[in-house]
Amino acid sequence: MKLLINGENKEFSEGLTLEELIRQLGVRKETVVAEVNRQIIQNERRAECKLADGDQIELIQFVGGG
Amino acid sequence: MAATIEQVKFEDTYQINGKTFTSRLLVGTGKYATNELMGQCLEASGTQIVTVALRRVNLDNKGEKTLLDYIDPKKFTLLPNTAGCYSAEEAIRVAHLARATGISDFVKLEVLFDEKTLLPDPIATLEATKTLVKEGFTVMTYTSDDPVMAQKLEQAGAHAVMPAGSPIGSGQGVLNPNNIRIILEKLKCPVLIDAGVGSASDVAVAMELGVVAVLLNTAIAHAKDPLKMAHAMRHATEAGRLSYLAGRIPKKLYAQASTPQKDF
Repeated sequence: MKLLINGENKEFSEGLTLEELIRQLGVRKETVVAEVNRQIIQNERRAECKLADGDQIELIQFVGGG
Repeated sequence: MAATIEQVKFEDTYQINGKTFTSRLLVGTGKYATNELMGQCLEASGTQIVTVALRRVNLDNKGEKTLLDYIDPKKFTLLPNTAGCYSAEEAIRVAHLARATGISDFVKLEVLFDEKTLLPDPIATLEATKTLVKEGFTVMTYTSDDPVMAQKLEQAGAHAVMPAGSPIGSGQGVLNPNNIRIILEKLKCPVLIDAGVGSASDVAVAMELGVVAVLLNTAIAHAKDPLKMAHAMRHATEAGRLSYLAGRIPKKLYAQASTPQKDF
């Protein structure tokens, strides 16, 4: 299935959960906030959040700012 | 016995939505040459509240150190900003994302109107303030130095109102001290100068006006020697605050001799 992650199209196997996606991407899970189709998915719900073809995922973290 | 200056500084606290602070300098974490330098500057500045931003994870550089490797959220109150948002909806979304980190429910609300001036959109700012206050955020709102807008934001429930001294990153200092004086006279909630200061003297001037604190970023991060400037800003904040508390002499047109003029 195709997922749009932070604006980039990427191919993944079916049935992936958000938690697995974050692990596969190698992103540090403790510092990232995730949105699926503009809905924030809380940390503790990532394991039960099944992703589907065409989902838009945003992975956000703190950076420097004023 | 008279209090020592350290006691005066220790007891001179202020609160934002019930949370007590002693340092009156809030420092941003953007634009530093390295994160190590940023960490040193935060330390030197004595700050207790640091602003941070939220952006997409760089998927090509994953696993790299993140900002939070350099800032201990137990030591500093994180103040996530909504910088770069040009509508109330965008700013509210960013505030939600920030809160979802579980680290802070503070938000530096900033809804901009255009990229050249980085001036706030007053209508969208007011709308977003109302929403985020209702949702239980601690809302510190960036605004222009308009006394009417400042009052509207306080009425909307802002926990702190933060007029810009001058445009963001411009280093022009406090351009309209009279507007800041009027804002201070009218508002009961904490008023901070956010943005525009360039040097230690700018910070001292702001503090002498009676604002509870100053928020700055570029003035330290882009100084020739950021670490020295961080120290300077800490001293300037304390000097300006003490000068405000001490009460300055009135300005007079003519000289007033300091030395007795007779009996020699």
